[in-house]
Amino acid sequence: MTSTAERVPGSAQAEPGTRHGPAGRGAGGGRRSVPRGGRGSGRGPGRRSVTSSRAPLVLLAPAALLLLALVVYPLVRLLVISFQDYGLRAIFTGQAGFAGFSNYTNVLTDASFWPVILRTVLVTGAMVVGTIGIGMAVSQMLTRLGVVMRTVVSVVLVLAWAMPNVASSLVWQWLFQPFYGVLNWLITQLGVFGDHTQDNWASSPGQALTIVLTLVIWQAVPFVALTLYAAQSQIAPEYYEAGALDGASAWSMYRAITLPALVPTLLLVTILSVIWDFNVFNQIWLLTKGGPEDTTLTLGIWTFVKSFVSNAYGQGAAIAVISTLILGALTSYYIRRLVRSGEEDL
Amino acid sequence: MTAPTVTPTTSASVPAPAPAGRRRKRKPRVLVNVLAVVFCLIWVFPIYWMVNTAFKPADEVTTLTPIWLPLRPTLENFTRALTQDGFLVYLRNSAIVVVAAVLLSIVVGFLASAALSRFRFRGRRAILVAILFVQMIPSGALLIPLFLSFQTLGLLNSYIGLILAYVASVLPFSIWVMRGFFVAVPVEIEEAAKVDGAGTFRILWSVLFPLVMPGVIATSVFAFIAAWNDYLTAYVMLKDQGMYTLPVWLAGFSTNKGTDFGGLMAASVLFSIPVVVFFLIVQRRLVSGMTAGAVKG
Repeated sequence: MTSTAERVPGSAQAEPGTRHGPAGRGAGGGRRSVPRGGRGSGRGPGRRSVTSSRAPLVLLAPAALLLLALVVYPLVRLLVISFQDYGLRAIFTGQAGFAGFSNYTNVLTDASFWPVILRTVLVTGAMVVGTIGIGMAVSQMLTRLGVVMRTVVSVVLVLAWAMPNVASSLVWQWLFQPFYGVLNWLITQLGVFGDHTQDNWASSPGQALTIVLTLVIWQAVPFVALTLYAAQSQIAPEYYEAGALDGASAWSMYRAITLPALVPTLLLVTILSVIWDFNVFNQIWLLTKGGPEDTTLTLGIWTFVKSFVSNAYGQGAAIAVISTLILGALTSYYIRRLVRSGEEDL
Repeated sequence: MTAPTVTPTTSASVPAPAPAGRRRKRKPRVLVNVLAVVFCLIWVFPIYWMVNTAFKPADEVTTLTPIWLPLRPTLENFTRALTQDGFLVYLRNSAIVVVAAVLLSIVVGFLASAALSRFRFRGRRAILVAILFVQMIPSGALLIPLFLSFQTLGLLNSYIGLILAYVASVLPFSIWVMRGFFVAVPVEIEEAAKVDGAGTFRILWSVLFPLVMPGVIATSVFAFIAAWNDYLTAYVMLKDQGMYTLPVWLAGFSTNKGTDFGGLMAASVLFSIPVVVFFLIVQRRLVSGMTAGAVKG
């Protein structure tokens, strides 16, 4: 736990707070209040809010205004729209009628609904498992490499990570072009899979998902690998020395020493990956537009198509609300953990 | 890495197993290096192929057998991308929108994160949890109401509309990350300033700001990259081609130009360069910054 905490500026400070004085947690808060708080004066939690002057409100006001107008209000409006008959006509007249639950029933009874939900969850799962698996392997590999090779791998990782995903999507289009795509040529040269030079990956139902998955995983591995490596390099070498003395194999040392130390970081990168991969849009849209035959149609793409292609904003909003709920359910464990840890540190 | 420290100690105490251990170390070393080379080749390949294609003349781009290095390297793809259909206009649009959104988010976010990290007040925790929660909302979900509101307000197809849309996604994130950098500054420093009679805003400006400056810069860079790379929002909000930002233009490049993959790859290189440069500068902070507060809240 401390191994990750030390790396991260956001959490590192939570520790120093407690380190400073014997005063304990209750005073920890009072100490932070700049303008009035005498440090360690043992203020109770109840007094804390009273001690604050108007300064924090003045500082918060601009951000609060912007966020109310640009995030809170739109979210409320999204919910409202999902209960309205909001189509092209509503756009022109500015009037949208109340539609009850019809958007939701329309979406839920849509033949695409369950396939899209299932596909989104499975695709997200495949992306996350692929990313975390390769990321862990690369992180472990980095710990075994010499300085030169490690630098080379790191640079390659950062380059792949830094590519804007619009650009990488276009590169993928080009790599997998029929006739001229270099990967089609390479796969054919392997001689195992037969002649693939004419494959049009993006428009064949069996293959479209493959190029989306490879693209997303290719781009997602660097963050996971580098984050895990940063955590792994914090593990004290004494553990491994002791393990080596006991004649432990590399694999059992990985399981007994490395993995337990990596758990908090693994949890973090997994949840972040779930959030990011669940919301992948650009790569799918630019490669396949959700096709062919809906084989790459995920919730994100479906929301977009319903609202901005079919102009059924009410239904699009309903799908967006449902997606948000699903993502909330998938990440609830993590959010609950965060909120609970916030009791102490937030 | 651990090998040099391990072997001396083991050989000192237990002489016999040490050579065996060393020999055992050797073999995996070769294996892991081979693995690393294979990994690098696979991971760098798409980037290599993009750059390779960008420097090829048209007849070397579309060949049935790949050409691994340009036989006659040329800059014509770059000049075509730069001169044709108003690259500079899109660059200007991108620059205006992204810089304005980042400046607004950072200035406003700086003040807010100061309030949220250095003061205690009622509702502070609720605000923090809300800011965290907002980042989990799919970007497409916010886009529908924003689009419809901007439609009513006449903000579609305008710089202001796109700037506000970017602030909506960048501001919560900036507040969260900058707060992490703020909390890292020891409170004693401010207290010293306070004892010397400095007021709240004086402390904020002259004492805290210089200390969190590196964090502010890093956050600005993350914000810049996020806004610079955005495709979806701009694609939805901009209808007039003269207003396009670079990603929208780039994504439309292939459909407009058929199979001009040389030009497309050159344009992709040009678009990626600023991001890659920024990335290499702040990569270390990026790893810690993205995880800041997320591990422990």
